[in-house]
Amino acid sequence: MPPSSCRPSSQVEPKSSLDAGRSRLQRGWLLLDPNAHALAAGRPEQMRMSLRNRTHDPRVQAFLLLAPAMAIYAIFALYPMLNVAILSFQKWNGLDPQRPFVGLANYQYIFTHDPVFWVAFRNTVIWTIMCLVFPPMVGLLLALSLNQKIFGRNTFRAIFYLPVIIAPIAVATMWKWMYDPFFGLFNEMLTSMGLQRWIKDWLGDRNIALYSVFVAYLWQSVGFSMVLFLAGLQNVSQSLVEAARIDGAGRWAVFKHVTFPALRTTITIVLVLSIISSLKAFDIVYGLTGGGPAQSTQMLALWAFTQAMQIFDFGRGAAISVVLLLITIAIVVPYLRWTQKHEEAEQ
Amino acid sequence: MTVTPAESIAVTFDTTAAGKPKRDPILIALWISLIVVALIWVAPFVFIVFTSLKTKAAVTSTGAFMPPVHFAFENYGNAWSRGNFASAFFNSVIITVIKVPLGLALSAMAAYAIAKIPLKSGKALLLLVVFGTMIPFQVMLAPLFTLVNSLGLIDTYPGVILPYIAFGVPYQVFILHGFFKGIPKELSEAALIDGASHFTIFRRIFLPVCLPVLAALLILDFVSTWNEFAMALVLLQDQHMWTLPLGLMSFQGQFSSDYGQLNAAIVMTVLPATLVYLIFQRYFVSGLTSGAVKG
Amino acid sequence: MRINSKYVSRFGAIAIAAAAFAATGVQAQDLTLWTLNFDNDAANTALKKVATDFEAANPGTHIEIVQRAVDEHKTALRVAAGSSKGPDIYFSWAGLGLGGEYVKAGLSLPLDKYYTQYKWNDELLPSAAAFADLYPGGKHGVPFTFKGEAVYYNKKLFQQAGITEEPKTYEDLLADAEKLKTAGIPAFTFGGSVNWHVMRLMDVILETKCGAEKHDALMAMKSDWTKEPCATDAFAEFAKWTKDYTLQPFMGIDNKQSYSLFTAGRAAMMLEGDWLVSQLDGSGANLDDYGIFPFPTNTNRLYGFAEYNYVSTKSKDPDLAAKFLDYFLSTKVQQDLVGQISSISVNKNVQYTNQKPLEAEWLDIFKTYSKVYMNGDQAFPLDVTTEYFRVINDVAAGNIEPADAAKQLQAFIAGRT
Repeated sequence: MPPSSCRPSSQVEPKSSLDAGRSRLQRGWLLLDPNAHALAAGRPEQMRMSLRNRTHDPRVQAFLLLAPAMAIYAIFALYPMLNVAILSFQKWNGLDPQRPFVGLANYQYIFTHDPVFWVAFRNTVIWTIMCLVFPPMVGLLLALSLNQKIFGRNTFRAIFYLPVIIAPIAVATMWKWMYDPFFGLFNEMLTSMGLQRWIKDWLGDRNIALYSVFVAYLWQSVGFSMVLFLAGLQNVSQSLVEAARIDGAGRWAVFKHVTFPALRTTITIVLVLSIISSLKAFDIVYGLTGGGPAQSTQMLALWAFTQAMQIFDFGRGAAISVVLLLITIAIVVPYLRWTQKHEEAEQ
Repeated sequence: MTVTPAESIAVTFDTTAAGKPKRDPILIALWISLIVVALIWVAPFVFIVFTSLKTKAAVTSTGAFMPPVHFAFENYGNAWSRGNFASAFFNSVIITVIKVPLGLALSAMAAYAIAKIPLKSGKALLLLVVFGTMIPFQVMLAPLFTLVNSLGLIDTYPGVILPYIAFGVPYQVFILHGFFKGIPKELSEAALIDGASHFTIFRRIFLPVCLPVLAALLILDFVSTWNEFAMALVLLQDQHMWTLPLGLMSFQGQFSSDYGQLNAAIVMTVLPATLVYLIFQRYFVSGLTSGAVKG
Repeated sequence: MRINSKYVSRFGAIAIAAAAFAATGVQAQDLTLWTLNFDNDAANTALKKVATDFEAANPGTHIEIVQRAVDEHKTALRVAAGSSKGPDIYFSWAGLGLGGEYVKAGLSLPLDKYYTQYKWNDELLPSAAAFADLYPGGKHGVPFTFKGEAVYYNKKLFQQAGITEEPKTYEDLLADAEKLKTAGIPAFTFGGSVNWHVMRLMDVILETKCGAEKHDALMAMKSDWTKEPCATDAFAEFAKWTKDYTLQPFMGIDNKQSYSLFTAGRAAMMLEGDWLVSQLDGSGANLDDYGIFPFPTNTNRLYGFAEYNYVSTKSKDPDLAAKFLDYFLSTKVQQDLVGQISSISVNKNVQYTNQKPLEAEWLDIFKTYSKVYMNGDQAFPLDVTTEYFRVINDVAAGNIEPADAAKQLQAFIAGRT
């Protein structure tokens, strides 16, 4: 039983010097100094306390819990991202030791001179909207269906999840052959059913190519949201469901009033992740069309990659990435804050 | 359409003996539609498996969905040696088995801290983490290479595992944070009053309750680590350190690919991920944890 | 934690090994060579054998050959070339657009002294060796393979259309295409989604319509695409071929799919390279069913390109690198490799026996031509190539007029900073 003097420091009267000490503590770098810690907590008599008692402070615990993940994340993800942001103001082909600063030239180029940027932008918008609607919806339907005790549901779950397991490039290879206008599955099926009129050049017709690619993407990604929804459905309280049914609620009412609210967190997560991964859509488009025909299925992430890793103009690729990042932030952050406020209001 | 039948199925099974016959057609309809959709879903796999068993000549001459006439099982053996799969498998296993549990543990700890410990910077930290999910990393390959090289970690396991963890943290923390926040305060507050540290609460109370999410994340993370290609390509130059996705390159020549062997290689690559899924998916089963949440 | 112990143990092992080396005083000479995968595995094995044979002849050396797929090789090389972790020798396509980038960045070592020392020009095919002189500042790179591209045709389909002999001029070819069309046979098959495949048609038409000098000037961007009438003519001709004489639809398929169509007899001709012979052989086709003729451009140049090995300026042992390259180019090694990595060797002393029928034809073609014009994507800088692809695809899909194509391309070239 720890001594009562080690209660969380939030119960201590705030004083100005203590606030100063506390804020320094939160910056973490005095954490290892037991005296500073005790001072900040307003208990000078506790200087040179033992390690065990020090770690009872929740902020210390928070720091220890957060530090490893945050450190690795900062070094290996945030720092390179910072490099990319800086690169967007430079001109670099990956080989030169010099990276001259060119100001906003890259941005100016992509917005005004690049023949492909706005096509990619438009496609990204269409794609994102489709990704927000279809995969989560289908994933939710599948999760709901497969949450029930029906025969062979584990097999079904495995089948629907399997596409997620395959490397995207393999998915692209498969679907390329399914869409092949001469030997592919779809056209052969349509021909055998006598529906030749419906045969299209799925990947070569610029009006439908993007949607053909989306179908392949849907096939691959539905399992992801299905799995997340399944996990979320486990938190739906069964007794509430039963109580509602005993009260005579119909199926739709049960869904609307019990299941759906309990899934709210999961839905937020799935939607946010869907937006984000749709904006980063890359492998499937790259594998199926490479951005073609004539760059008509080009997407922002793919165009950034093309500029950086195929044309080797890293500055422009970085500029496009930064634009994409800003768009993502502009969409996701307001939505997140809205859901955060919503949750706080409920609690 | 399938929302309402799902609920009705639950009713059907709840009222066991007195099962209402008029619900059954809906059940059957759902089942049939699931079968149809599942068949479509499975078609590309059929293609892969068939192609993996065809000889080179058969690949170009027969239709993609025709079963192979002669089963070219040697494709698997040839693919194994051509792709150096022995060493590629080993590397993939080491990297994945270390990274996935470790990354998940670190993310869970961080998510718990942000969700349950009152911190002034809590919201900012979460946004900073979510920011990480939005980074389009294909463009980051060059800076990442430079960074890892400057640390002397090219061609090493840590040189690959650390960036993998770094890119896994955002998703996992974001998802786990959401789930942790959904757990009622009463659970942790009771323990806090009893004097338990946050470490204990995290370990004894939260982890067990979040088992379905953890299982889901484990599967998802295993798969993305197992299939990760772009970073491995740049950070692993020594062929003996290559992972399986890099080994798949061996079957792609400049002008043609050996499709039989390539598909055999793909099948062999997919199997372990499938196994992991089958092992962990039972944690989704309803009822395993619902009691703990209610409290 | 697990990670730390792993790191420590690896580091420890390396440290011990390094100490052991230092203690015994043996200096292992290491060489890394980065190149592509070959389509057929026998070639991969043969290449690796060259390395082990060299190691046996030169004890104390270790040659590591790392092979990747095309785009991955480009990526890995790009990212690592400027660092201390790059290869000693690397593969690249010769030409200002691709190999030239590395030369410009100062990452290719001029090899003049080795050319003199090892007398490579005495051994090499002149047309293959010529690419080393493309760059200012000395000779860069050593030939690896030399490839030609020509028209492969299906003999049966030609007979069906009543074509009795191979076309000698461009007008003959047009007439033949018309005969095929009348017989209901698509003349060509192309893969549109891999831009460089259908680009080949544009390249050969440009050569035909513009002649050698103007073609080179356009590709070097010294001529204005809108001011040269032959450029717009070429686009118009290209549009005609893709609309009337090409198996449709082709914009959504790649070269591998179009190859399947060719072997299935769905089109009469394919514009491909000498590597197709071993590809046809490997997929079980009967080589006697096919014939080849160079695309009749009314100039004296062969459509082809070279693949080179370049020595990196960051290499720690360029002498060893040159020694290995000399070994690789030697008549004995090239004779052993004959037919495996390419249909003709870059070494002119190699003898060819027991050739497959089409290979002998290729040998004749190579002997006939002394000048070469390159594929467009190797001549243009990378960003212009991307725009070139887009414009060509738009013309092929019928979305823009030929005159517009020239305008857009020239606008892009002019707008480059």
